[in-house]
Parts: sequence; structure tokens; C-alpha cells
Amino acid sequence: MRRVTLRSWKTAAVLVMACAAVALGANGSLAASHAKVVKVAIMTDCKGAFAFGYDFDIGGAQGAFAQFAHGVTKNHAKPSAGMTGIHVGSTQVKIVGYGCGNDTVPLAITETKRLMEQLNADVEIGPLSGDEAVATANYAKAHPTKTFIIGTAGSQDPTMQIAPKNMFRYHGDGAQWNAGIGELAYKKLHWRKAAIIMDDYSFGWTSAAGMIADFCAVGGDIVKRVFPPLNTTDYSSWVRQLPPPNQVDGYFSAVGGTGTSAMLKAFEQAYGKLNPKQWIGNLFFGFLGADKVVAPKLVGSYVGGFGNNPGVHYPKVDAYRAFMTKLYPKIPADDGFTYNYYMAAKALVQGLQKSGGAVGAKLQASLPRSINGPFQISNGGFVKLDSRRQAIQDQYQLQLVKNKDGSVSPQVVAYVPAVDQSFGGLFKPTSPPPGRTQPPCKRVHTPWQGKIQLVVNGKITKQVLK
Amino acid sequence: MSPAWNPAAWTRRQQIERGLVAAVLVLMIVFPATGISAYWSHQILIRTFLFGVAAASLIFLFAYGGMVSLAQTALFGIAGVILGNLATKGGPGGTSKGLHLGWDPTVALVLAIVLTTVIGLIFGAVAARSAGIYFLMITLTYSVIATYTLGQVTKISGFSGIGGINRYTPGWIGNILDHPNRLYYIALGVAVFVYALIRYIVRTPFGLTLQGVRDEPIRMSSLGYNVPLHRTLAFGFAAFIASLAGVLYAWWSGQVAPGNVDLPETINLLVMAVIGGLVRIEGAWLGAFAFILMDNYITSSTHIPGLGFGGTLFGGSFNTIVGVIFLVIVLVSPDGLLGIWGRLFEGRYLIRGRGAPPTIEPTIEAPEASQ
Repeated sequence: MRRVTLRSWKTAAVLVMACAAVALGANGSLAASHAKVVKVAIMTDCKGAFAFGYDFDIGGAQGAFAQFAHGVTKNHAKPSAGMTGIHVGSTQVKIVGYGCGNDTVPLAITETKRLMEQLNADVEIGPLSGDEAVATANYAKAHPTKTFIIGTAGSQDPTMQIAPKNMFRYHGDGAQWNAGIGELAYKKLHWRKAAIIMDDYSFGWTSAAGMIADFCAVGGDIVKRVFPPLNTTDYSSWVRQLPPPNQVDGYFSAVGGTGTSAMLKAFEQAYGKLNPKQWIGNLFFGFLGADKVVAPKLVGSYVGGFGNNPGVHYPKVDAYRAFMTKLYPKIPADDGFTYNYYMAAKALVQGLQKSGGAVGAKLQASLPRSINGPFQISNGGFVKLDSRRQAIQDQYQLQLVKNKDGSVSPQVVAYVPAVDQSFGGLFKPTSPPPGRTQPPCKRVHTPWQGKIQLVVNGKITKQVLK
Repeated sequence: MSPAWNPAAWTRRQQIERGLVAAVLVLMIVFPATGISAYWSHQILIRTFLFGVAAASLIFLFAYGGMVSLAQTALFGIAGVILGNLATKGGPGGTSKGLHLGWDPTVALVLAIVLTTVIGLIFGAVAARSAGIYFLMITLTYSVIATYTLGQVTKISGFSGIGGINRYTPGWIGNILDHPNRLYYIALGVAVFVYALIRYIVRTPFGLTLQGVRDEPIRMSSLGYNVPLHRTLAFGFAAFIASLAGVLYAWWSGQVAPGNVDLPETINLLVMAVIGGLVRIEGAWLGAFAFILMDNYITSSTHIPGLGFGGTLFGGSFNTIVGVIFLVIVLVSPDGLLGIWGRLFEGRYLIRGRGAPPTIEPTIEAPEASQ
């Protein structure tokens, strides 16, 4: 009979010890958590359709930390290089990590777990996109001691149907951003019948819901809804499902990210040159890089908003732009990605000031229910949160215009004050969340109906849209 | 005493390997109680256990049935989606996607496993008459069908998937959110159960016949064995194992979405199995552990400048780094990490082992004669 030698047992023992050592090493960060340090994670996307927003988001959040909490950036050209020295009173704020999603649920959850459980963050600022926010809301519900401030995700569910008490959103959802755009189509372009093409996920549905609700509210009819999957590259079969241009008055588009340009190209190949008066897009017609490719083909088209008002000037918004441009010259301060993450971090700083650096339930109780926003005009310039911790925010509808230098950019043409998430009661926690067939097209009364103010040459007028 | 349970009758290699397995098992059992790292217990190790179970279903099919299946991830996801649809509740504060029928979680659990096994049997029945690259392609098709069915049929999932599943666990398990160690021990128990079950199955007449089908399908058919039936049953059994992993994942993550069953995830499971070693069941957990460690720590590495996300090395791409490591492992040892381990014993690691094709170990080892 063979005997087990001493050497083989040594090998086994060494391997077991190595496993334990790795585990201990992984735990090293936990040991140092006794100092008064609030750990913050910034969750965004570095892959997928919205990867270009990675540094916009981080730059926005860190802009607020620099402005209100003494943060010092490591690299003015690259926000993701990091920021140090952030403190609120005597409380240090440490950015423990940047989450890297790809607009899908599995990676959002894996990354959120990494940030909140491995890096032990107390607060997450993020995520970026709609489905990720739905997943994060479910995660937040299961982790009530952690605090989540949505970065710039626009799905309705997180603060309407799911609505965990530890989740906050200081910007509008995708439907809110489109408040007023249907009325513009009806009254300015005289659309009566329209088709809609929307990304087949939570943000696409919510964004489309805003257009549908607003257009149908004033008497318009949506005759066809088409919903290609996110990250589709060939839209030819999808645009063929849309009625041809002679059968509808126009098309709403809620196709985003890298898909916007591909979808419009497929439409051109199917039906010929785009007619700007027949197209209205959500924010992806005017922001997030799409303006370079998409906008030049659609000069004159109306575009849904992003809670911001590019081209409009008044002291507090100019101060915000000046600060952000000095801090991160390459990051567009007027972009919704930048601005929404900025607002989230600003709210966190105010919350920590009030809670004295405490996190968890105390921070959640201390986060502001009303916060001064650079782009906010109504309500004394303060964005208010509703009972489900969702922003009631001014919206600005846009039109693509050609500038003197030949570039094309969105210009504010209408102002819709204090848009709430429910659209005056149309959307409720008990109603199904936006989807392929939700909401149905029906005539209702939205609070802003007949009250949308026109904006001319960057000035909000008393004149209402007729 | 049976030689299988008599350490004195084991070979030196068996003594070391079984000693090591016992030591690791003991370490896993006591690990949460040590309080060393809750993150390791609840994220790294639970994921290792459950993805190891999924990889074990793939390795079982390859090592004992000669079938490389790319459908295991799809079956894993199907189980999670069935559980999510049946167990979750809708309404204010509930989950916002799926059917959210709100059934008893135990019933949902049983149905998720049973229905996934039935789907696996159907998948297997269709694919059983093909082999090699054709079998691979058919199972790849299953994976694509699952991804797009879940994505397109928004009633049951949609691209958002179903969330909040981990809030609806059976009463006999209790709240795994407040008591994550329960999920840890359930996952560990399932992993041990699956390992033991596969070891048992491959020694039964069915398992031996399956290995015959793997090696000599024509001869087995000539002898009167129903080759497609055995392959179908093996596929169904593997689907059962994959469903266990899918349920565990749904409880661990709380979410199941088409992104869990898409092509990258399918490849990831195959990578886990190949890294561990496709020839032995133990390789499933070894490969899952190695992959999850890479996934977790390379992603967040700040020790090597430029390595993590947004870094400059390899374009800051995690997949590139994993690809390079995968390539090195496969080049050094075509039969994975367990192959390296085997070569250490065979003493031909440096010269003779290089480039040798993977070998399938005999399932039943003749007990070494007492010396």
C-alpha cells in the first residue's frame, strides 16, 4: 500500500492557505472602514450603445463635488481619471469606483454588487440607462441601508411602480422630457395621424409614452407602433413596418444611442429623403453625439427635451456652464448626461451636510426634497421631488436649427413648467408601466395643455402655443 | 470496506486529490462563519457554486455523452424566467415586468425545474440524431431562440427581464436577503449534490451506456441500444442540472433577463468549462472560480495602472485580458487547469504533455492492487 507522503500534504496545506490568503486580501478594504468616510460609487456605462456618455456622467457628478465639496480633479481632460479631496464638513467623501455597464440588466447587477458589496459603497450615483435603473430599483429595494440616486436613467418604473424608499431621481423620466412635444406636433405641424418607432426596452417605452400621451391628449392618433430591439444595427425590416410617408402626417422616434442614425438611414433607403417636418425625435435627435450625424439631415425637426435649455442664458445657468467648462473643457455642460449626474451629486452633498455625514436611513431622510437646479425656472428655481422621490422638473422642447458656422444644434422653442411624472394622473403606481402598447392612445387633460410657453431667441415669452 | 471508501486502497494521486477536495469542502463549509469576507461568501463563492453547477451540466454532456452543448446557458435562463414569472408579485412596490403571478414560491421552484427539464428533453430529442459541429450549431440555435424569445415576448420578460425574484423565496428557505448565508449553503449543497449525482449517474447502467454511445455510437446501435434516446435523456438530465443553477442565479441576482442567455454569456460558460477542464466534473467549479476571479478583480484592478475599465492596457477591455489568459491556459494545457494538475502527476508537464490531445479518463478506475 502506498502511503501519503509529507510533501503531498504540504502541497495541499499550501493551497488551502493560499485560498485563505486571497480571501483575506480581498477583505482588506473592509478593515479600514471605521474612519468617517462616506463611500460613493458612480455607476455608468463604458460599453454598449451609451458608452460615449462614460466621461460625461462622471464629469457631471464630479463637477458638483468640485463645486460644492472641494473636490480636486486629477485630469481636466478625463474625468474618469478620478477626483480627490472631496469633503462635506468633516466628512470625507471617497469615490470608491466607477461602474461599467453596457445598458443590460445582468452587467448592471454584477457591477452594482461589485460597487456596493465589494467596494462597500454607501451611495450609488447612477445608473445611466432605463433597464439598468429598473434592475437597480429592484436591487435597492432589497438593500434598504444603501442609498441610490439615479444618474440619468429615464425609465418610469424605478420611481413609479417599484419606487424603493432609498432611491431618488432629481431629473425627469423619459416621458417627462417629452411633455409638450405632442402638442407641438399637433398645433405647429398639424399632425393628426402619426406612427412611432421606439427602442424595445424601458427607456424607449417611457420616452415613447410621453410622446404618445402628449399627442393623443390633444386629439392626435398613433396608428402604428414599431419596437426594434436595443442595439439593432440593421433597421431595414423595422422601418418597413412603419406606414409610408404619404399615409401618416409624421413619425415620432424614440430610438436612441447608436441606433438613431442607423434607423434614419434605413428609413431613407426605404422611403427616400427625410422630411424634417415629418419627424420628431426624443433627446437622441439633438444630444449625446447624435447631433453630429443625425441633426444635419433634420434641420427644422422638433426634438424632445432633456430637462435642460441649451442656448438660453440667465445668471445661474451661465455660472453652471462656466464652472463646468473650466473644470472639464471637453465635457458639454449642456448635455443631459452631464447635468443629471451633476444634480445627483449636488443633492448628495446637500444630504450629507444635513445628515452630518451619516448614511443609510438618516441620509435618505436628509436628501433634499427641493433643490436649486441651474436649468430650473419655475418654483423659484427649485426642482421638487414628489412623494415617490421623483423630480417635478421644467421641460424645454427643442428644434434643430442651422447655425451661422454651418453646424446644427438644438434650440429651445417651448417651455413647459413643472412637469410631474404622472402627467396629471395618467400614469399611476397601479397602472402598467410604459410598454409596447402602454399607454393606450386616449384624449386626456395634461396639466400643461394650452399653457406651453413659446421661447423666441433664447427668451421665454408669455405667448402660449396655439 | 469498499475500496472506494478505504483511503488505504487509494492511489497516491487519489489520496491527495480526495484530501484536497475534503479540505476545500471543509473550508467552504466554515468560510462564512469565519467572517473573513462577506463579499467573498455572498458574491464570489455563491457565483462559483452556481456557475459551477451550470458548467457541470456542460461538462457532463461532453465528458460522458460526447456532446458539446451551447444550450446550457439558455436552459439556465429559462429556469430563472419561469421562476420569476410564477413567483413574483406585481402592483405598487412589486416587480414591474413579466406575468408576476404571485404563486407559492415552492410551487414556482418545482415548476421551474420540471418545465426546464421537459424543455431540455424536447431540445435533446430534436438534437439527438446529430453530432459534432451539427450538434453544436443546433444547440447554438437554442441559445439564440431563447435570447430572442425572452427579449421579444414582453409578457414573460422583454429585454428588461424580471426583477425582484430574490424577494420571493420559499418559506422553508426564508429571507435570503437578510440572511444571505442561507443562499450560500443552499448553493454549496446543490453543488455537492450535483457533483455526487453526476458521479453516481455515470456509474449506473445508463451512464455506462452513455459512455458507450459517446465512444462507439454505431456499435452501440448495432448492439440494440437506442442511441438517440440515451442522448435525449442525457440532455434532459443536463437540463435538470442547468435549471438548478438557473434558480440559484435568480435568487442570487434577483434578476433574470435575455442578457443572461445571450451569446456572450453562452461563450462565458463554455470558457469556464474549458478553463477548468472539460474532462472531469471537478473542472466545472475550478473553471467557474478562475473565471469569476478574473471577472471580478481585473475589472476593478487599480493596482496595475491602465488595467481596469477605462484603462489603456488592452484598450481597457476585460474581455481581451480574459481572452489572453484563456489562450495561455489552452495552449499550455488543452484540457484546462485540471489537465495541468494531471500532468504534474504524470511527470511529463514540460515536454511530453505539450500539444497532447485531451484525454478522457476512464470513468471506473480499477482499484490498485494492494502492495
